[in-house]
Amino acid sequence: MEKDLVEYIAKSLVDDPDSVSVSMVEGEKSTILELRVAQDDIGKVIGKHGRIAKAVRTILSASATKSGKRAVLEILD
Amino acid sequence: MTRDFEGKTEQEAIDNAAKELSLDRENFDVEIVDPGKKGFFKKSNVKIRIHLHNDKNIEPKKVQRSEPVVPAKNENDFEKSVIDFVKNVIEKMGYSAEVQIAYRKDNKLGLNIVSSNSAIIIGKKGKNLDALQLLANVYAGQLDNTKKIIVDAENYRIRHEEQLVRMAYRTAVQVKKTRKSKLLEPMNPFERRLIHTALNDVVDVETKSEGEGLYKQVRIIYKGSSQRSSDSSVSSRDDLL
Repeated sequence: MEKDLVEYIAKSLVDDPDSVSVSMVEGEKSTILELRVAQDDIGKVIGKHGRIAKAVRTILSASATKSGKRAVLEILD
Repeated sequence: MTRDFEGKTEQEAIDNAAKELSLDRENFDVEIVDPGKKGFFKKSNVKIRIHLHNDKNIEPKKVQRSEPVVPAKNENDFEKSVIDFVKNVIEKMGYSAEVQIAYRKDNKLGLNIVSSNSAIIIGKKGKNLDALQLLANVYAGQLDNTKKIIVDAENYRIRHEEQLVRMAYRTAVQVKKTRKSKLLEPMNPFERRLIHTALNDVVDVETKSEGEGLYKQVRIIYKGSSQRSSDSSVSSRDDLL
């Protein structure tokens, strides 16, 4: 499921996996995933010029094509 | 003992042979079976035959380039955790896959994804594969930042490279014919480098990257041997044509 996917990737990339949390807001056509990480780890999930965030979103949309629903990732600070 | 190999160039075929057999160049003789068809439109592969000097100390791997690779045994902890990471990501995406070591070369670790959902794992223009590779590299960087991970599926990367080079030659022919410069699709540094090197030894055209950021565009410019202009500005060059 999308939530597990984002959570797994985020936990694998940060220094403080315990502070990773993903909440899901289900809409009619799209699912919004809100990712929270420790303050110091935000750079680790966004990356230079948002490279990592972009890659995670790409992976997420590839995963979402299976369920036919759009998934949106928001990184909150 | 003899074995046959292919490559885009003679050198590449030899490199492939050396890699597959894990031998140094001086340990075998090379006979060129098919030098490959010359021409811009289609460059067929160069075929070579390898004659081994000493049959005894050689154990050729049972690996063929086009077939799924036999997983390398006894992977170390680093390799195992990177493989697990890639496998887990794909499985959490909702697809099943096997991830194997395709090759180890210098500081590179090549992984091959075997899955019945390859099309989705590769994605449009390989974007899912690139995203997976980027994440795998970030993950691997935490464990050992000297290693680079290459993620591939169905030999997509080599096929894509060949296709890019063919496209570059084709476009160069058009540029020569029309004497008008052409701008290619945005490409990443690795892909642009392929284009620049491929067209480096093609006469009458030159290549230049335009734009900002990671994804720049390559412009192929006609450079007639008679009226060589040293003007570097592309727009004024276009005005001349």
